[in-house]
Amino acid sequence: MAVLPDLSVDIGGLKLKNPVITASGTFGYGTELTPFFDPSLLGAIIVKGLSLKPIPGNPPPRIAETPCGLLNAIGLANIGIQAFIEEKLPMLTKIEAPVITNIYGHTVKEYADLAKKIEKVEGIAAIEINISCPNVEKGGMAFGTDPDTAAMVTGQVVSNTTKPVVVKLTPNVTDITTIARAVESAGAQAISVTNAILGMAVDVTTRRPKLANIVGGLSGPAIKPIALYLVHKVVAAVRIPVIGLGGIMDYRDALEFLLVGARAIQVGTANFVNPKTAIEIVHGLTDFCSREKISNINQIIGGLKTI
Amino acid sequence: MVEETVALKSNQQIGTNIWLMEFRSTLLASHAKPGQFLMVHLGERTKDPLLRRPFSIHGIQDGDKVMILYNVVGAGTSLLSALKEHDIISVIGPLGNGFTLPRPSEKAILVGGGTGLAPLFFLAQVLQKDQRNTVTLFLGFPTSQEVVRIQQLKDLGVNLSLTTEDGSLGIKGVVTDLLDQRLSNKGTTKPVIYACGPPPMLKTVAQKATTLSLRSYVSLEGYMACGLGICLGCAVKAAHGETKPYYYVCQDGPVFPSGMIDWEVL
Repeated sequence: MAVLPDLSVDIGGLKLKNPVITASGTFGYGTELTPFFDPSLLGAIIVKGLSLKPIPGNPPPRIAETPCGLLNAIGLANIGIQAFIEEKLPMLTKIEAPVITNIYGHTVKEYADLAKKIEKVEGIAAIEINISCPNVEKGGMAFGTDPDTAAMVTGQVVSNTTKPVVVKLTPNVTDITTIARAVESAGAQAISVTNAILGMAVDVTTRRPKLANIVGGLSGPAIKPIALYLVHKVVAAVRIPVIGLGGIMDYRDALEFLLVGARAIQVGTANFVNPKTAIEIVHGLTDFCSREKISNINQIIGGLKTI
Repeated sequence: MVEETVALKSNQQIGTNIWLMEFRSTLLASHAKPGQFLMVHLGERTKDPLLRRPFSIHGIQDGDKVMILYNVVGAGTSLLSALKEHDIISVIGPLGNGFTLPRPSEKAILVGGGTGLAPLFFLAQVLQKDQRNTVTLFLGFPTSQEVVRIQQLKDLGVNLSLTTEDGSLGIKGVVTDLLDQRLSNKGTTKPVIYACGPPPMLKTVAQKATTLSLRSYVSLEGYMACGLGICLGCAVKAAHGETKPYYYVCQDGPVFPSGMIDWEVL
């Protein structure tokens, strides 16, 4: 009987039994996909982005399919942090994988307030900050596109929690490494790369945009090469662990991100297509390591051969 | 709810752009209720088209045969229509709430526009099995070219009336004309209305139901990525005074009491 390979990784002090995490907004509040598999078997789960107050979301149509991709403008619809803590979190205690909450604020203060609320709650292992949203304080500019505001948000969350803080970066910037360095300096323990890429689709018959919001975030296999490139750049720019995501559909996609240097990966859009994707990736990585006689997944991470 | 890989029994064109697909699944057939739907993906895990497509369950036959009636409208359904007997698809279901059946004393009127017939056939199957009431079914199509499944509906024993917009079959007009006529007959019992079809048709049905204080249920479509309540793509605006701003077709529906929906924006 062969010894199973060790898939465990360390993300800024957060120990994961394997590097497979479900991405925010694609795994509900954590228990919706339990009819398909046991989330306890995953490295971690990240729940739907939470705000201080409930957000109703955008008018429909909110999604449109494009070649190998999904455009969405859900509008961060969520039940709010309080309802999450009261109604959803108790059900998550049965899940043995770490639960990470993704948070979203309209102002820097809202991010700080969310961190304070989460700090008091047991059963939440870490916080992922979504900084690719419009900043009303700054007149519509996104937090995540300016290194100073990105650092400010990160610093406010870090100073209000003892839990590891992951910052999820937007790809919609000229140079993602400046943002990555800024959030690292502000105390982030890890960085997720990348959130969805802004995009559009048009119905030529009606001459209307396919999304009521006109623009949306593109995800799915269509963005994987871009996501890999951005992970590659960020890994070279910072010392803290990078979590890779963008179009991962199977374990081979996951391996590409690990080889480029991601310490863990997130499965997003694939959960919609095949709800078992994340667990199939765990099994796929296990089998791959066994086959290739790799005893520890860390031997793969950053193992990209360029010469 | 299950995820199953099934081999097709048949997949045939039965009208202009209209296809009927059949496969066997004891599990799905035994759990499915009229009005529920399936998320279907081509057997090979294609990345284009990427997402599953939602289809209402058209009917259950011979105990374990599941039927899907669908319109070929885009790339996904076009590829689906090319599948042959023994080809493989992946199916998740049954999903959604399904129709609330009428009480034994109530008469059911089913109103379908085009392939809105899809879930109503299953409802008619179930209601006709329960012999207490003959189901009244009004169906409307653009032309006779789109009229499908008529013999099968007659075999079920439903009381069927047809309209076509060009008058090439049945009564010339739209299906809600038939409903108008019927509702103007002051009957003894108030019927329950079940409708599926294009949004303008459903809106007309909803207005009539409100005016006459009738119970009515509409089956809605929505763009959805997962069908499982996760992507939050399939939002429909809730009527004023409802507890939520949006309902989700996949979880709160696809069948809604017509009063729950804000018809101004649908």
